[in-house]
Amino acid sequence: MIPRVPASVDQDKIISVHGLKFVYDGGVQALAGLNLDVRRGDYLAIVGGNGSGKTTLAKNLNGLLRPTSGSVIINGTSTSELTVAELAKVIGYAFQNPDHQLFCSSVVEEVRFGPLNLGYSEAEVAKKTELSIEAMDLSAVKDQPPFSLTLGERRRVSIASVMAMDPQVFILDEPTTGLDARETDDLMDSIDRLNLDGHTVVLITHDMKLVAKHAKRVVVMSEGRIVLDSDPGGVFTDLELLLRSKLVPPPVSQLAHRLSSLGVPREVLSPEELVFHLMSGRGARR
Amino acid sequence: MASVSMESQTPPKTVGAKPAKFVSPWTVALYAVLTALTTAVTMTLVIPLPTRGYFNIGDAMVFFSAFTFGWRAGMICGGIGSAMADLLLGFGFFAPITLVAKGSEGLVAGILGRTYKGATWAKILGIWAGGSCMVTTYFVGEWILYGFGNAALELPLNVGQVLFGGLIGLTLSQAISRYRNPNPKTT
Amino acid sequence: MTGFIDLYTEASTFLHRMDPRVKIVAVATLSLLALITSHLVYLLVLAAVMVVLILFGRASYKKTMLAFSYVFRVMALIVVLWPLFDPRGTPVLFGFGPIRITEPGILAGIATAARIFCLAAAWYLLMFTTSQRDLVRGLVKMGLRFDFGLSLAMSLRFLPTFSAIVESIKDAQRARGLELDKGNLRKRARDYVAVLVPTVITALKMADTLSLALQSRAYGARTDRTYMRELKMRAGDYVALLIAVAVFAIPATAKYIFSIPL
Repeated sequence: MIPRVPASVDQDKIISVHGLKFVYDGGVQALAGLNLDVRRGDYLAIVGGNGSGKTTLAKNLNGLLRPTSGSVIINGTSTSELTVAELAKVIGYAFQNPDHQLFCSSVVEEVRFGPLNLGYSEAEVAKKTELSIEAMDLSAVKDQPPFSLTLGERRRVSIASVMAMDPQVFILDEPTTGLDARETDDLMDSIDRLNLDGHTVVLITHDMKLVAKHAKRVVVMSEGRIVLDSDPGGVFTDLELLLRSKLVPPPVSQLAHRLSSLGVPREVLSPEELVFHLMSGRGARR
Repeated sequence: MASVSMESQTPPKTVGAKPAKFVSPWTVALYAVLTALTTAVTMTLVIPLPTRGYFNIGDAMVFFSAFTFGWRAGMICGGIGSAMADLLLGFGFFAPITLVAKGSEGLVAGILGRTYKGATWAKILGIWAGGSCMVTTYFVGEWILYGFGNAALELPLNVGQVLFGGLIGLTLSQAISRYRNPNPKTT
Repeated sequence: MTGFIDLYTEASTFLHRMDPRVKIVAVATLSLLALITSHLVYLLVLAAVMVVLILFGRASYKKTMLAFSYVFRVMALIVVLWPLFDPRGTPVLFGFGPIRITEPGILAGIATAARIFCLAAAWYLLMFTTSQRDLVRGLVKMGLRFDFGLSLAMSLRFLPTFSAIVESIKDAQRARGLELDKGNLRKRARDYVAVLVPTVITALKMADTLSLALQSRAYGARTDRTYMRELKMRAGDYVALLIAVAVFAIPATAKYIFSIPL
């Protein structure tokens, strides 16, 4: 029985996937019949090894790929009735390689590109642009050309340009690849804030430390199927399943597993929790 | 079990050996990339047409290569890149004509477009002159191969393609020159 | 336009095993032969021979049809348009103002279409039976300087890479609301710039890396470089070469020196 998050009210479901199958042109089946419900305000991580279908699933959500069979329902409407541009109003997709999206001569122009495409008025575009640039801490570099920025800054520009389209859902494909620890923290802080502001965040990643620290719900994919859908603590306790899905739980969880005889629960997600349990465990055992 | 001993082979003496008179590695890499880009763009950004096969924006890459890297790049990468697209898409017999058409386009656009420090009007002149070479070559080539009717039908389409490609190529070269400004190799 | 076809199909027919240099020469001579032949019957015979050779090449049916679909369209247009502009000869089948459609005119159109078929088929023979690497090796052996050959080989190798990057960037921009197939010319031009700028920048960065890779592999260290696979002409290759040249030389002599109509 796959542990699931509690059932939600229908209007709460911003993304609803039923029996989604996807087969690529060459005959490769990337998705083998998925069911997934995402509620408004979820902070969800989709994890899985290479080839598990994470990116294929994400592209089915914003219309870049169309289901071979099954349905994807966004905000009550099936994606088969919407174009990619229309879906871009609801689902903002930040690609793994920000350099694939940057082409303007200044950050401001870059961020304006999305909302301009969607047809917002000049005043609205200006407002959304300003808000996004501030939210992503880019005010200091807003007049510079994007190519001259560091990778971390370029990632933030890419996310800001998606944010300016004012979507309800953010899909972020491997947002922390290539960033150092400090840049990762800064970026994830901004993303956490997005979720706090009410946006739905879907993180595609295979960095389990990231998942442990930020996500509230984890969906594990393997070979085109969802094999586990639970909170991070619940997911990290199922070691064999993780290994079969070519994943390894974060070091903190691995340590917690081995220390369970000392009274440390296996759902520990951070070093602070681990230390707390170790201390209180030793105290209790006297 | 016999083992391969690395020590038994002395590498050939390089001290005193004549270095090859090749173009620089940067040129090899750049030309390879520009050629492949021209072919890829010609093949993937297309609107199919009944006669010559497609309305494509490969000319944008020819002009870009010429304006940003000079007439040699424009001629070689633009000519060979476009001809390769012909070969790979199924009209290989047309490749020699395309080679001359796009090669001359890149050559002329590269020479004219980089005068006056690459001023916009110089580039526009380059597009006009280079485009004329391309359209003329195609017209003559098609007349010989396909007959007057086909050639005449294609003429306005080729003109339209060159103008569209020229506009894109011009904008592209301006956008990229900002990116490469710190590098003294380009305009 | 979906995807990039590599016309080459792996097999071991006599055409595949032929030295690529011979095949390149054969394409040239066959093309010239098609160009100097004007008589419809001879052209049709030549076309039939080409078809037989292609069958020997054992290319995949799908690739063959895909490759020829363009040619067939051009041939159809030629047959339709040619008679309108070629009013020579009799009998006149249809006359309307300046337009005279004559029987010789129609036949000339069909002959031209057959010629295009022969030209296309000659190149397909080469492309279906020769891998890209062998093609470049052949050119280098025929005199193309190594650095140019290397650049050519590298560009062939990067073709699928760049096609994929263009598609990826198209997707990325579509996710920002870009609609490439809508709008007037000015909008479309700007749209293509939105796809091309990231593509070109990514490509130029790759060129930087490639250049370093070449340097760190002793590119150009010496003139007398060793090659891993040397091309050697065998007896069969020389025979084929002779046939390829004769196939053009004999008719050419007949036509131009002895004025035998072809």
